[in-house]
Amino acid sequence: MLLEQLINGITLGSIYAIVALGFTLVFGVLGIINMAHGEIFMFGAFVGVMVTSTLGWPIWMAFLAAIIVTAILGYMLERFALRPLRGKKGVSHLAPLISTIGVSILLENLSHHLFGAGNHPFKNAFAEIHFTIGSITIYVVQIVIFVISVVLMMALSYWLSKTRAGKALRATAENLDTASILGVNTRQIITLTVVMASAMGGIAGILVGMAFNSVNPQMGLSMGLKGLAIIILGGMGNVKGAMAGGLILGLAETLIVAYGDSGYRDAIAFLAIIVILLIRPQGLFGQKTSEGRP
Amino acid sequence: MVLKINNITKNFGGISALTDVSFSIKEGEIYGLIGPNGAGKTTMFNMITNMFPPTSGEITFLDEKITGFKPHKITNKGICRTFQNIRLFSQMTVLENVLVGGHTRSKSGVFSGVLRTKGQRAEEERLRVTAKEILELVGLSEFEDAIAENLAYGQQRRLEIARALASDPKLLLLDEPAAGMNDTETADLYHLIKKVQERGITTLLIEHDMPLVMRLCDRITVLNFGKKLAEGTPEEIQNNQAVIEAYLGSEGDDESA
Amino acid sequence: MLGDFLNPYYLQVASFIMINIILGLSIYVTLSSGQLSLGNAGFMGIGAYTSALLTINYDMPIVVSVIAGAIVAGLVGILIGIPSLRLTGVYLAIATLGFGEVIRVFMINWESLTKGAVGLSGIPQIGRELLKVSRDAGFNPLDIGLKNNQYVYLLVLIILVIINILLIWFLVRQNKSRVGRAFAAIKMDEKAAEAMGVNITYYKVLSFVQGAVISGFAGALFAHVMGYISPADFSYHRAVEILIFAVFGGSEVIWGSIFGATFMTLMPEVLRFISEYRYMIYGAILILMMAFRPQGIIDVPLLQKLQLSKRRGKHGSKN
Repeated sequence: MLLEQLINGITLGSIYAIVALGFTLVFGVLGIINMAHGEIFMFGAFVGVMVTSTLGWPIWMAFLAAIIVTAILGYMLERFALRPLRGKKGVSHLAPLISTIGVSILLENLSHHLFGAGNHPFKNAFAEIHFTIGSITIYVVQIVIFVISVVLMMALSYWLSKTRAGKALRATAENLDTASILGVNTRQIITLTVVMASAMGGIAGILVGMAFNSVNPQMGLSMGLKGLAIIILGGMGNVKGAMAGGLILGLAETLIVAYGDSGYRDAIAFLAIIVILLIRPQGLFGQKTSEGRP
Repeated sequence: MVLKINNITKNFGGISALTDVSFSIKEGEIYGLIGPNGAGKTTMFNMITNMFPPTSGEITFLDEKITGFKPHKITNKGICRTFQNIRLFSQMTVLENVLVGGHTRSKSGVFSGVLRTKGQRAEEERLRVTAKEILELVGLSEFEDAIAENLAYGQQRRLEIARALASDPKLLLLDEPAAGMNDTETADLYHLIKKVQERGITTLLIEHDMPLVMRLCDRITVLNFGKKLAEGTPEEIQNNQAVIEAYLGSEGDDESA
Repeated sequence: MLGDFLNPYYLQVASFIMINIILGLSIYVTLSSGQLSLGNAGFMGIGAYTSALLTINYDMPIVVSVIAGAIVAGLVGILIGIPSLRLTGVYLAIATLGFGEVIRVFMINWESLTKGAVGLSGIPQIGRELLKVSRDAGFNPLDIGLKNNQYVYLLVLIILVIINILLIWFLVRQNKSRVGRAFAAIKMDEKAAEAMGVNITYYKVLSFVQGAVISGFAGALFAHVMGYISPADFSYHRAVEILIFAVFGGSEVIWGSIFGATFMTLMPEVLRFISEYRYMIYGAILILMMAFRPQGIIDVPLLQKLQLSKRRGKHGSKN
């Protein structure tokens, strides 16, 4: 059923978009690829497992708890892995990348110890509720995921373009030094960005739990890598690109599972990167600069 | 003519850095390129070495069109530059910096380099001899094993010239070589550039030190806001009303200092 | 007797150190032109699978298949390298990381060739083959007081040590040559290197492909030392582990990767209780190194100090 597959693809794609937004925000402001973003996302999902399955609380509590936990993780990431490198003389541009790889490995293995390996069921009261229109089956949870994603993206766009803090963030992304001369507290903005991006990762974690009903420690890595693929696809630091890239990848993966070989699903993201780098290295929505990439 | 600049225009975004600039340099000349800050002098160097492509116009070197060549190929043809904001290989020794300058004048690859074939050893020896000779010329012989970033500022500028000379250029582009130098160092620099001229190397010089430019250069082009304002001998330039106004207008403080 | 000193377990750990040093050097050589490649686990996998399949399916001698593995990895390196090297810094790192994942996905899914996630077993082992050859030549390890497994592990170790010495010799000499200077120039200032006539694209691809060949070579050796490989051996974790060798030991100097690979291989073996927390410790090491010593434990000033004190020591003994 093509239409049903499209709905599945859009659901998956909107989660990808949320994950990619977390990457894009941090890259836009700091010029850093946060390799730990996938693991922070995975922690969000596990918080969801604990709240819904272990404690038996409602799903909105899971969102709240995941946001809090991942925001704290984001703050710690900024404080201990990124801030010490900033403004230090002679630090290679690769240092923050390596440092966040360190955080990702640490968090992934910490989750093994805290939660145990393997799949953990994610309970969700309305997981099975669905309705049919003609021959198409739609699950309520798909609609919920889609609506939450869209609301989140709209809220972020509004916040970035209309609020004072959002404008400060964009100014910082444009040029950190200029923003700081103009009186923006860039350190605060940077911390805010990383915390916010992480909290969005946490929300995406719960959404994935709702969509697949199962959570495991490895999903951080695979989601993280896909998020990276999406931001290269959409254009680094580009908010619209992250959203569109997420949807494209979600649809492409769903379609290949439905009509092709499901085993290669995880390779699509990277084949897409390689193709895009060859044809349009600045990404679908990125702007071409005369100097190539920074 | 060694170098011909034909109607070069360069736009960055909407801003025009160079507009329809033309001039040409004769063999063996020391040619000055002057103008207030932001006049487009360094942009012109970037055009000649094709670090950025020009928006329109073309450049010929020894009657060959070089617009569109890769920068390393232009160096190979015989044009080498220094940088306004010194760009040495800062953790290499002084000698190693000059050896990298000799890159285009050598050809050994991975295997000859690792196996140290006879040809490779001869080539390395030749590179070293040339490098030491050039260091002697610029007066840095005693520092050949020093790490480049530990050199004094004026020495770093001279090392940049040495590194460029090691590529055996026919045309040397110097971007503000006297910047940050004291009077003695500037005097040394004058003699160095003269010695380079005696070797038959043509020089294109960007410089803010007007007394140095006037003493050194055979001919000068003045740029202002990306346009050619005047061209001529030092005397002609010094008496050119438009040039005097441009300098008094924008850099009066600089001149009086 | 010689046999009393040779604990097969120690010999095996030493062999792993040797293979890991080769992997550490594979990332070092690419870093020496200023580029971070996270695809070396993927190239390692290509080398391992190529060599293993050639010996299993076509009875190719191990010497030939190992070289073939390295060459195939290098060819793929050229294919990946040319487009990727239009990218700089973090973009290259991510593209190569993605490449590694694609390779792993192919290894898992191309079941007819690779046996999928289960992996390949029964790969001819260097040691066993050599034992066979010695036996055929009428030599019995017991004649020199060695048990079979001692003899096998010892031979493997000796071969790996020789390979390492050759490789280090190659890289040290290359560093001191025109090619090495071009790599270093690109690493320190790409624009200036280009202005000095260095064809930066060529040298970047060269150092990237060298990294690919060396990791493919290490992978092929790994396959024939272990006798068993699976896609999990060449995952993201392997990529990170290789990165740690260079970052912890010191990415600026060749001895850094060697030290890093040795230390990081020994640590979980010596401190058994640690091995459960191994990757957590890896993570912490990366964070701490970047914050406090981004150039790694061994850097140029440290080497100079060591040399000085050695010289002083010599003088002291003379007096």
